[in-house]
Amino acid sequence: MANSNLPRRIIKETQRLLSEPAPGISASPSEDNMRYFNVMILGPTQSPYEGGVFKLELFLPEEYPMAAPKVRFLTKIYHPNIDKLGRICLDILKDKWSPALQIRTVLLSIQALLSAPNPDDPLSENIAKHWKTNEAEAVETAKEWTRLYASGA
Amino acid sequence: MEVNAILEEKLKKIRSVVGPDLPDSFIVRTLSRNGGDPDEAIKYILENPGFLARPLSVVRTVTSTGARVSTQFMQEDSMESEEEAKPTVQVKEEPGLWLKDRGIENRGVSLDRSKVTGTSKMTLDEFLKLHVMSDEEYSKILEEIPAAVGAEPSAKIHVKEEPVEAIAQSGAGTNARVKEEPDLEVKNRASAKKARSETENFAKSVSSNSSGMQRNGTLSNDGRCKIEDGDFPIESDWFLVGRTVVTAMSTTKGNKLADNEIVNFAFPSSSSRFNAQWIVRFSTKRSGEIGRLPMEWAKCVVPLVNSRKVKILGRCIAAPGSLHIMQEIFLYVSFYIHSSVFSDIDTVTWKLEATHIDSTMYPLLTLFKLLKITPYQKAEFTPEELDSRKRLLKLEDDPDEPTSMLPIVKRRKGSQQFADQNKDDQTLNESSLTKLVGAADMYNLDEMEPPRTLTCDLRSYQKQALFWMSELEKGIDVEKATQTLHPCWSAYRVCDERATSIYVNIFSGESTTKFPTATQMARGGILADAMGLGKTVMTIALILARMGKGCPDNQKSTVNKNVITEKKSQKSRTKARGGTLIVCPMALLGQWKEELEIHSEPESISIFVHYGGDRTNNPEVLSGYDVVLTTYGVLTSAYKSDGEFSIYHRVDWYRVVLDEAHTIKSSKTQTAQAAFTLNSYCRWCLTGTPLQNNLEDLFSLLCFLRVEPWCNWAWWNKLIQRPYENGDPRGLRLIKAILRPLMLRRTKDTKDANGRPILVLPPTDVQTVTCEQSEAEHDFYDALFKRSKVQFDQFVAQGKVLHNYANILELLLRLRQCCNHPFLVMSRGDSQQYANLNKLARKFLESNTNSTTMEPTAPTRAYVEEVVDCIRRGENTECPICMEFADDAVLTPCAHRMCRECLLSSWRTPTCGLCPICRQMLRKTDLITCPSENPFRVDVEKNWKESSKVSKLLECLEQINQSGSGEKSIVFSQWTTFFDLLEIPLKRKRIGFFRFDGKLSQKHRERVLKEFSESKEIKVMLISLKAGGVGLNLTAASNVFIMDPWWNPAVEEQAIMRIHRIGQKRTVRVRRFIVKDTVEERMQQVQARKQRMISGALTNEEVRTARIEELKMLFR
Repeated sequence: MANSNLPRRIIKETQRLLSEPAPGISASPSEDNMRYFNVMILGPTQSPYEGGVFKLELFLPEEYPMAAPKVRFLTKIYHPNIDKLGRICLDILKDKWSPALQIRTVLLSIQALLSAPNPDDPLSENIAKHWKTNEAEAVETAKEWTRLYASGA
Repeated sequence: MEVNAILEEKLKKIRSVVGPDLPDSFIVRTLSRNGGDPDEAIKYILENPGFLARPLSVVRTVTSTGARVSTQFMQEDSMESEEEAKPTVQVKEEPGLWLKDRGIENRGVSLDRSKVTGTSKMTLDEFLKLHVMSDEEYSKILEEIPAAVGAEPSAKIHVKEEPVEAIAQSGAGTNARVKEEPDLEVKNRASAKKARSETENFAKSVSSNSSGMQRNGTLSNDGRCKIEDGDFPIESDWFLVGRTVVTAMSTTKGNKLADNEIVNFAFPSSSSRFNAQWIVRFSTKRSGEIGRLPMEWAKCVVPLVNSRKVKILGRCIAAPGSLHIMQEIFLYVSFYIHSSVFSDIDTVTWKLEATHIDSTMYPLLTLFKLLKITPYQKAEFTPEELDSRKRLLKLEDDPDEPTSMLPIVKRRKGSQQFADQNKDDQTLNESSLTKLVGAADMYNLDEMEPPRTLTCDLRSYQKQALFWMSELEKGIDVEKATQTLHPCWSAYRVCDERATSIYVNIFSGESTTKFPTATQMARGGILADAMGLGKTVMTIALILARMGKGCPDNQKSTVNKNVITEKKSQKSRTKARGGTLIVCPMALLGQWKEELEIHSEPESISIFVHYGGDRTNNPEVLSGYDVVLTTYGVLTSAYKSDGEFSIYHRVDWYRVVLDEAHTIKSSKTQTAQAAFTLNSYCRWCLTGTPLQNNLEDLFSLLCFLRVEPWCNWAWWNKLIQRPYENGDPRGLRLIKAILRPLMLRRTKDTKDANGRPILVLPPTDVQTVTCEQSEAEHDFYDALFKRSKVQFDQFVAQGKVLHNYANILELLLRLRQCCNHPFLVMSRGDSQQYANLNKLARKFLESNTNSTTMEPTAPTRAYVEEVVDCIRRGENTECPICMEFADDAVLTPCAHRMCRECLLSSWRTPTCGLCPICRQMLRKTDLITCPSENPFRVDVEKNWKESSKVSKLLECLEQINQSGSGEKSIVFSQWTTFFDLLEIPLKRKRIGFFRFDGKLSQKHRERVLKEFSESKEIKVMLISLKAGGVGLNLTAASNVFIMDPWWNPAVEEQAIMRIHRIGQKRTVRVRRFIVKDTVEERMQQVQARKQRMISGALTNEEVRTARIEELKMLFR
């Protein structure tokens, strides 16, 4: 039933995601629910997450594109804007959502968030504090976590 | 089987006199003692008052010594008896329970009857007497028992290899060596089956508690280990629910169990995974793990014990001498419920989560069922009854009817591309709908005179509706309701009489100790009269007849308030008390307001339209009016931003009316959720099509109406949706039964009590006008067709037809448009509009340079020029929101292009919002319509040529005009671009017309509709189907021109209904235009086929192939 009234836009976006994927990002819809995507994001180079493969899930709600997709990290990650449940603090996923944004742009934004953690708008207070007080150490922890949990196994 | 039935009947008879408290087994035995005569048995029972005493009044001080007698356990037995005879050790229990007999079959070993009889001291009759006796007599016999037991060893029982012979003996005679196989079912058959030897085996029932042993067991024969078989103290906090024998399974072997030995249960931790979480093991102190509980018990016991509200204690009875693995072990298990459940403080209902395996299995209910505790007051209908063929609900059997509706087309994988097509595919047509939900041919309803504040006359069937609606709003009498058990709840009594009744909602599994009254039942229903019968007027009459605010007070005076209602009214005390809230589609907002004003006495009601950009957010304002009108869009956006604290949710409405209620057919959408969560005393759904695509649509309506238990998805799915989809007619019959009291549906064919149609409308005259293409037109069409066919054949060859459904539909779209006018499919681009565009660009750039200083986000000149250039070249861009080529594109002041519709729907308010691309604030008035007057390659105006269809239409219009009858016409098409073309000849021929399509704002819509109905000059209105499909009242016109056939005939039907409805005074002439030898003609065939498909004549597989066939047919 979930796939019945799939809007043309979702079909189009899916086709484009599959035919011309964004670098470092792969997203493929689940077989039984075309609104649910399995996403992999490669940790951006020059970031503590480099070399990591991060799994995410993305779900397009009924109101999409008038409402933002729901995205969550499945892979454990040490990042001030991502909490331990994998929830992401990103304005375009909340109040700054615009229907002109797409799955692709959302995922690119998340990739960018990995490159530029923003401890001033934290979701994970502890990690953010860590980041602010001792960035070098926090980055080391992030690298460690990447090795531990996102080493692509 | 038959014997059982007779027995059952006798049992029932006896029960009717002696009450439900005696156990079956006891009655059966009494029966057999009295020669199977129920009357004798009743007499017997009544003469022995001990039976009828309440459980607690019977103090039993004897154990099941007799059954357990054996040489080895001699010592223990006598000791036990002595101890229990002491007054201090009073083990209370229900008389019946210990009487449960166990048929014990001799297997392989047969006893020589005569010898046994000779040696045993007590006969069965004596034993029975024992149970029947009063306390004094009891103790007398008690003294005898040790003696009897003491004599036991001397009684030699010879075990012979002889054919099985019955021994009707007391347990005192049976030797421990006899392998006992208690058969619980024997209870019912005992008297019938003489071949079975019956032994009284007393289950020693002790209220037991593993932690608080009064007396620990005595030495076992080897003297090394203690057998834990003492009694359990009574704990005041725990009330006995019931006791029963559970057949468990051993997981160990060896000589491990003794009779009456206490077993301790170990429950899986909640972290146990998969099936491990349902394994309840039991062990003895002596030997450790013995076995596990059967799954059916475990599944209900685990969640109950985990809730800490229930505990379970047990001991083994009839222990086998030596255990094998997987051997059956009989445990006598007592269940207790904690008193906190009944205490006054704990008034909240507690609900144990259903097992995840079947979400309609509820632990407490299952426990009651397993314990054979029957409710003393049953729910009006139970899942079993609904599920079984023996149904309480009286459903007439009309076998042909459900099958014609089944199976509804199931959606399958790979068909997702059908997206928009699917909707049409599944729409039910009127007749199937009528069949499904059963438009009653005749309702025997009283009429109710409308209030005098209603200024129009109601027809008789409308007065009936008014009566029906008011009755439903009154609900059942409040006094009565508070004393009536809610139909979904059953009342149970547990063994312990200190406990009050427990009420369990058999559908939701919720339990409470507070009486659930019927007051919280749904008030309202579904007014599903077919289009054009005047649902609006009926509703207005209802509003005027029953004015009210908030939730009426009468509920507060009730004594037995249900918890839920109580909580609600507490919350509501802080809320504003509103009148009637009407939620309708935007297109109908004006019509509602107008009709409310026209049909009510001036100043009889106050109306407030809550819509538009600067609407208030103060619930007090809304509650100040009798009627508040709003749209689904506004309701949804309020809900989206404020959830259940939105302005609408902060008002306690007297009545909520959802017009075109099928808008909420998908229960998961925000719109539906917003509607479900509204607080209201009465709830109404108005819809001509309660079922649009599938049965699930109804679920959403029932959710809104809060019809228990059907608003619970699990039950809906289990009893209706799934059976329906699997072709089981019961699903359908059930939904009909549910709807019968809730839904009023009349069609135009419904007859009144005198057999006359309830509504007489002028006739319709539907004709198909076949047009013949001119040669040039035909050549063009042919070329397009051939090109499309090549592509289609390719898909067929690759076997990818269904994967390319969207592409194929686009091919077809072009062909269909070509039938209307070849210009429609010619590629975009222009030669003549430069001048206009330059003007536009200039205006655009000017307005922007003015504002650059203020707005840093303003686009650069170069960008704007590029965009304008792009428009000039006729290049259409993809709309960033729907990702289609922009239809009715607008240009924002920030020079972004997108569909008008997409942009407006992305805004939270209708007048302004952010640009989706650059987030600049936009006002609706700032939007510039992209030049679309001329999206054609050819300069249509200069090279104007009529297509055959256009000529035919003009011919018809002129004819009407010349006839001087003043009749007005409506022209329907699917494409607004076609109207763009039509404007040219209409203007040239000076035929005045209005256009009504998505571009019109709400205000304009109202004005256009008003002017059209009043104007004497303008007699034609062009309506795009998407804009004017629903709700509009176009009775001013009497001619309908359907320019292009729709995939779905139901949509055409609905369009015609806009004109053919109450208020129409002329014959309605409908002309459908079809171009000969084109895809349109073949679409007609597909439509006919689709009818068959909708009515369920095809199976799923057929439907799939049908799709391909259908397409092949179109490309033939």
